[in-house]
Amino acid sequence: MLLDFEKLGGLRTFLIGLTVLVCLFLVMPIVFIAALSFGSSQWLIFPPPSWTFRWYHQLFADPRWLYSALTSLKIAAIVTVLSVAIGFLAALGLNRGTFVGREALRALFLTPMILPVVVLAVALYALFLKLGLAGTTLAFIIAHLLIALPFSIISIGNALEGFDKSIEDAAVLCGASPWEARLRVTVPAVSHGIFAAAVFSFLASWDEVVLAIFMASPTLQTLPVKIWATLRQDLTPVIAAASTLLIAFTIVLMVLASLFRKGQKT
Amino acid sequence: MTEPFLSIRGIRKKFGSFTAVKDVTMNIAEGEFMTFLGPSGSGKSTTLYILAGFQDPTDGDILLNGKSLLSTPSHQRNIGMVFQRYTLFPHLSVGENVAFPLRIRRRPQAEIAERVKAALKLVRLDGFEDRKPALMSGGQQQRVALARALVYNPPVLLMDEPLSALDKKLREEIQFEIRRIHQETGVTILYVTHDQEEALRLSDRIAVFSQGEIDQIGTGQELYANPATHFVAGFIGDSNFIEAAILSNKDGKARLALPGGTVVDGVPMHGGKAAGKASLLLRPERLSLSQAPVDAGLSVTIDDITFLGNNIEVATQTSSGDTLSVRLPFGHRAISQLTRGDQAWLSFDSGSTHAFA
Repeated sequence: MLLDFEKLGGLRTFLIGLTVLVCLFLVMPIVFIAALSFGSSQWLIFPPPSWTFRWYHQLFADPRWLYSALTSLKIAAIVTVLSVAIGFLAALGLNRGTFVGREALRALFLTPMILPVVVLAVALYALFLKLGLAGTTLAFIIAHLLIALPFSIISIGNALEGFDKSIEDAAVLCGASPWEARLRVTVPAVSHGIFAAAVFSFLASWDEVVLAIFMASPTLQTLPVKIWATLRQDLTPVIAAASTLLIAFTIVLMVLASLFRKGQKT
Repeated sequence: MTEPFLSIRGIRKKFGSFTAVKDVTMNIAEGEFMTFLGPSGSGKSTTLYILAGFQDPTDGDILLNGKSLLSTPSHQRNIGMVFQRYTLFPHLSVGENVAFPLRIRRRPQAEIAERVKAALKLVRLDGFEDRKPALMSGGQQQRVALARALVYNPPVLLMDEPLSALDKKLREEIQFEIRRIHQETGVTILYVTHDQEEALRLSDRIAVFSQGEIDQIGTGQELYANPATHFVAGFIGDSNFIEAAILSNKDGKARLALPGGTVVDGVPMHGGKAAGKASLLLRPERLSLSQAPVDAGLSVTIDDITFLGNNIEVATQTSSGDTLSVRLPFGHRAISQLTRGDQAWLSFDSGSTHAFA
């Protein structure tokens, strides 16, 4: 190969160096936040003068933090289930259907990915005000479902692309009704796509902040909104602690996802 | 008259303005091995899909034991099918694949275990229960698919070119297995293929499909010895066709003038034309070759001689430019004295040839 990594000579050292720099650039903010959350300084001084769990104690002592974390979890969980279910049906229709306007419909489903989130947020907020839904859990779920759905449609759609419809037909001739065949054969066969859809949908809702700010009310706040709101009032290391837990949870989820995928291949 | 086991009556299928199946009618006896043979796009697979219930016919009916199948959805037809592509459920083991139809039917666990074992034994894959389909060869996968399609004792088994993805040697091996399984189980099989050799090897009867219609139904021998149409004559066995002028045509026997002036009499004629052109079928293995002129023979030049083991293929050319292939047994007397470019004479028994107009 022309660009064989082994034959790059001096350029090779440069590329390794560049990669390390890029990785550091990506990882440093996370490390920084995590370090500050354990630092004793009230003013987020770096490097921290000494180490403490004080901010974590304060975080867990305030029931509003726990409540917003549970709110986030609840909304993300419901969004995940709905996004996977609707995403599966939509992907099935887009994959198998022969109707007019199929490609246009696919593009429409994916627009929330390209549309600036703040535009979507303003539009939804105006609509929900009119419908009297502003500040409700339902509004939260609908808003997050909108941005989670494209992830589901893409990952499940890709998995269906690699699945031979004849396998489903075979299940039907074996005596399974069409929906029984889809549930017992197609769904397990595309389970890697469904799992990816679930992880992406959960994360899309779990750490989403722009839509959440518009949908939130003083009594209904997700964790990112709570962080943002607290940040506006005063700069406290409790925010760093909350952020660190948010990141840790996300990382655990990603690791679980990759472990699951590895387990499936063998 | 007793009701035929499986009766396909006047099936027609249109896709928009294209008619894929024009008018297919046939009766199939219980336990029969019937093959739909034809080139791609001849309507044979569409007919099979209509039987499976994946497509509805535009017209016509299908009766199994006298009852129409059409209003029954696919999953309730209790028909077995083996597909062209590999259709084992990728997330299930071989044993669970074969058990699937029985689980759907909620059979007791002990019965499932017993029947799965028997079905895998039938396809000679006993002991493979725990294997995942991805770790099996194409031939093994199709045998598991066959076990899965037979485990619930369907009255009819449909097979849609199940061996087309396999190489020749493996194909012949599994053809032999399918024959054995047909004899052991007595299941009625409807088999689709475009491979005439496969059709001849497996079938009790063959239905030759061409452009959405059945040209002829019969045993392999009938189709070979008495082809009803030009298409069947060309599709079954090897064939030469030469154009001839019809001199007379009465009671199915014709008198034809071949290019070069040779006149042959008493040729079985398909088609009622009394004048004009006809196409004369000359099987390569039915032609005799001699060095000396013969009556009602064709004068030819030898183009090429190919030794093919148990026989010799001679490519010849008539004075009018038609090429005729002749197959002679190994050790044939005349050919040992002939070489490329030599003159020779072909003769044939006109009563055993066929002409189509």
